[in-house]
Amino acid sequence: MVIAPLATFVIAVSSVRTRRGSVNTAMLGALVTLAATLLVGWGLAKRTTGFTASYVYLTANVGLNGPIAFQNFEVDIVLHADHLAVVALAVVELCLIGVLGWHRIAGRNEPGPARFQALISALLFGCVGTLLSTDLAELFTFWALAGGATYLMLAHRWGDEAAARSGRIALVLPFLTDLFLLCGIAVLYSRYGQQNLSLLVPALHTTAGWTVRQIVVASVLLFVGVAGRMALWPLHSWLTGTATTAPPAASAIAAAVWPVVGVTVLYRLLPIFVNSNADTMRWFVIACGISAVLAGLYSLVSMEPRKALILAGAGVTAVGAAITIHGFQYRGFTFAVAGLACVYAAAPARAAGALAASNIATAMRTEDMRQMGDAWRRMRSSATVLLGVAIALAVSAAGALAIGVDSRTRFGITLGEAVFVVAVAAMRVFLVASSGPLHRRRAFDPDRVRDAPRASLGWPYWLVLASLVLFAASLVPPLLTFLDNGKHATATAAAYALWVAIAVAGLAAAALPIGSNKVGSLRASSWLSLLPERLESAGQNVLGRYVVNPAVSIVERTERLVPAADAAVGRISHLSGRYAVAALHSGDVGVLVMMAVLLSLLVALLSPGVLR
Amino acid sequence: MTAGILHAFASQTFPSPTPSTVPGANIFTSAFILSIGIWGPVVMAFVIGVLPNPRGRYDTLIKQIAFFTNLMVLFILFVAYNQFQNFLPSLQYEENRQWLPAIGASYHLGVDGPGILMVMLSALVGIISVLASTGIRTRVRSYFALLLLTQACVTGAIVAHDLFVLVLFWSAATVPLALLILGWGGPRREAAAWRLVGYWGAGTVALVLAVAGIYVATGATSFDMEVVLKAPIGARAEVIIGLALLIAGATRLPLFPLHGWVRDVYSDAPIGVVVVVASSASRLGAYVLLRVLVAGEPDGAKLLAPLIAGIAAVTVVYAAIAALRSVDIRHAAANLALVPGGVTALGLAALTPLSITGSVLSLFAGGMASALIVSVFATVSDRAQTRNALALSGLAARMPKLAWLTVLAGLGVLGVPVMASFTANEMTFFGAFRTQPVGAFAVAAGLALTAIAVAVLIQRVLFGPPNPDAPAVSDSSLSETWFLGLLAGALLWVGIVPGGPKIPGTDTPLFDPGVVNQMVANIPEIAAPYSGTTTP
Repeated sequence: MVIAPLATFVIAVSSVRTRRGSVNTAMLGALVTLAATLLVGWGLAKRTTGFTASYVYLTANVGLNGPIAFQNFEVDIVLHADHLAVVALAVVELCLIGVLGWHRIAGRNEPGPARFQALISALLFGCVGTLLSTDLAELFTFWALAGGATYLMLAHRWGDEAAARSGRIALVLPFLTDLFLLCGIAVLYSRYGQQNLSLLVPALHTTAGWTVRQIVVASVLLFVGVAGRMALWPLHSWLTGTATTAPPAASAIAAAVWPVVGVTVLYRLLPIFVNSNADTMRWFVIACGISAVLAGLYSLVSMEPRKALILAGAGVTAVGAAITIHGFQYRGFTFAVAGLACVYAAAPARAAGALAASNIATAMRTEDMRQMGDAWRRMRSSATVLLGVAIALAVSAAGALAIGVDSRTRFGITLGEAVFVVAVAAMRVFLVASSGPLHRRRAFDPDRVRDAPRASLGWPYWLVLASLVLFAASLVPPLLTFLDNGKHATATAAAYALWVAIAVAGLAAAALPIGSNKVGSLRASSWLSLLPERLESAGQNVLGRYVVNPAVSIVERTERLVPAADAAVGRISHLSGRYAVAALHSGDVGVLVMMAVLLSLLVALLSPGVLR
Repeated sequence: MTAGILHAFASQTFPSPTPSTVPGANIFTSAFILSIGIWGPVVMAFVIGVLPNPRGRYDTLIKQIAFFTNLMVLFILFVAYNQFQNFLPSLQYEENRQWLPAIGASYHLGVDGPGILMVMLSALVGIISVLASTGIRTRVRSYFALLLLTQACVTGAIVAHDLFVLVLFWSAATVPLALLILGWGGPRREAAAWRLVGYWGAGTVALVLAVAGIYVATGATSFDMEVVLKAPIGARAEVIIGLALLIAGATRLPLFPLHGWVRDVYSDAPIGVVVVVASSASRLGAYVLLRVLVAGEPDGAKLLAPLIAGIAAVTVVYAAIAALRSVDIRHAAANLALVPGGVTALGLAALTPLSITGSVLSLFAGGMASALIVSVFATVSDRAQTRNALALSGLAARMPKLAWLTVLAGLGVLGVPVMASFTANEMTFFGAFRTQPVGAFAVAAGLALTAIAVAVLIQRVLFGPPNPDAPAVSDSSLSETWFLGLLAGALLWVGIVPGGPKIPGTDTPLFDPGVVNQMVANIPEIAAPYSGTTTP
């Protein structure tokens, strides 16, 4: 499972030059990895424990005394394929294969095909490693590798200045949150001397000198680290900022793969969070709930279809994360894994949404939804995919909510709102793109709008279908049992019906304003979008005025000051040297004066109160 | 003779804790193995210096002599490394001769864990610098003689175990380097040379004051590190000495605000000299901090630790912003080369066994990464005939080899996985969070800024739209590819296999960070912060 994508990467980098060859190599690597994953999954079907392979990567003896835990620093490559990892990997690989299939035809004009496909293999390698890791240092290594590959994919169009500029956001924000993850791991290591999760978790409360504060700090750092890569609101801008400038395949992969990887890692880290305190867990749940609602609302006011879908997807991810963390709040309940199933179900739909929206934006030659329309007639396939995506995103959380959340609690109401808003937001994209007239613009003839090449159209369909199948599976307790080997209570039919009804209500609610007055509703969205834009702009101004500009100014002044200062010191030395020489030439008096000065300096320095 | 060596190679069965039996163990039982590493290049520099070279007829021969001298030194030190025994808390390959008994100075050489790693770095850099200097056409004899002298001085400062000898080698390294820059540097070579002399001279003065302070405070009987660094000194004196050592280290490594020489030297020195300065010569700053301050004055080190951590953080942040604002790509690379030094300093400030181990590995990895980023941008600017980042654009298609090497250099400075700097940074951060969490977090934030700077630089120079008005460009030559490839290869090698690829039939890893044991074993205080926090 690990070697296949790595070998594909090496082959792609070293010997593949043509576009077709590189696509086939990457696809082969993904298929072989999927086959290996399914094989392992088959092997796990009748086992309760996973398969483990362990290799020593680094063993450093760093001390001969002190506590034993700190005498050695070990990073072991422990690959542990359990049920959860296998399912997560299968979802990741399905998304990759679907996007690769689409990109093979629709991404023909992308520059540097060999590089791009090699990066996809590198990303798959990183994801496989991350999902199979139980050692935190190893996990971070693979995580950072996958993160690096993601950045390079999102910034693939280097020649385009806009792409390069937005690519920097995709570098900085996740890199910063990755550093939070690293710092969290470092804090834990510095206190416990353990990186292996299976050894670390039992030691959290049994190690002498442990404090709740340490675990809280580590938990917050780890949570921010994972949330950044999951692109939860407000850490989503690395995905939305590159949605229009990155290759569509890169954007789709990043939007689909990282939530799956992130939520799985979050699930693995939750035993650490649980050991902090109840307040911390509660705040994490509240943060995810707020993130879910606000992501949906942001999506509602977004005027770009790909950004809107990414934000709607971020809302679903936040709902899943909230349910997962909520599940860990109560010992004995086992519905945490249902949150994962929700995120897994939404992932292929997110990839399909990005591809379909990209098809439509490219064909209609606009990124503004106000200028879109009539896709149902002119681009039926892509529009149908958008409809499927809206349904999949809306209902994907229904199973998890029915099992894990009481609809009468404040938490339930918040997540209900989030699901409703996400459904409205996702359906809005479909309705706006599909309905209404497509107006003629300068240098744009609506009659020339065509859907993407036929061979590429099937892949988004399959992704939507996979999403719906995963959603159906999330309603069935045996899948949840397969994921975590726990016993799961079945929710009542009424609970399922309620949450599906909320999603359907959201889908229907979107139709009302757009059906009655599409232009007016879009104008309202556009007007409302000014508020977050202004807030964002104000935030950037504050950051620029009080942090960036002063820092740059200080550095620039220092850049000028340091050479000026050392040049001045040099001149003074030169002058003093000349005076000394002149004094020497002037005879005994000069020498005596100089010696007197030096002697007095020496005495002054050695006198009590200066050195002692 | 060869048969004799082979026979000895086959028949040696010396018992040792780790490794148990090493092929080639004690092949060099010579008591002068470290002296050979120092004086071999000096002798060859003399030979080159007196070799008649009418109208440059023997230029190639001189280059070959320099190359094979360094190769031989590397081979000898490689064998020394292979014989090195990890778990001995004492110096190895020790040489101790009385030199100036009146003042207690002795010719005392020896290596412990960090020492052997630094010596290997120095030897490897020696070869790389010669390869990087193959383009030298004028006054070849003088150039390579001075390069070998520099090499000898750096090795001498690493292996010196007497403070008097340390100061001599430390200060002596400045002279040939300044002459090399003055004689073969770029348009601003005079400013670069004088800045180097000024800053390194100031550092030498600080080191002399610190050594004098230690000498006086310990009874003025000996300069031997074994004696003076183990003698008790008052905490206040340790702080004063520590401050002097910090100034000395900060001028070399370099750390903010004593980094004034970096920009001129890295952008105007010949590439071969840049390689030596950026990798081994500048790492001497951290090495002295480690050897004298951390190991010798632990109280002073503890008191100064927050200051050093703060300076490390400021250095990394400053370097990133300055690189981001630079229009000259060699200036940008020079600023980026400051980053690994900041990480090394953070590890030393944290004073935990793991952070110090990370720092020791960072001496190697950071040295390689700094040398690679500076020399690769120097090569790019040579090949592109301009240093202006605004004029350079879209070079990747026209110089693919250099593009790959540039990307690797950027990743090496950042410390991404599979690069040696990643392992070093990881160990440093993991160790630093125990005692210097704020400094560690600030350095991490600085690395995020560095990532932006690297991305902007690479995007602008390599992957932007091609500039039709830019001068013609060409890819790297064979020798340039070789020396840059060696630097990148070393980073990747230690990054992918940090425990070291095993020599067939042995358990001795190359570049095993565990060699730092000797250092930590002598400082029980370093492990103290952990006491009571975990169950032994």
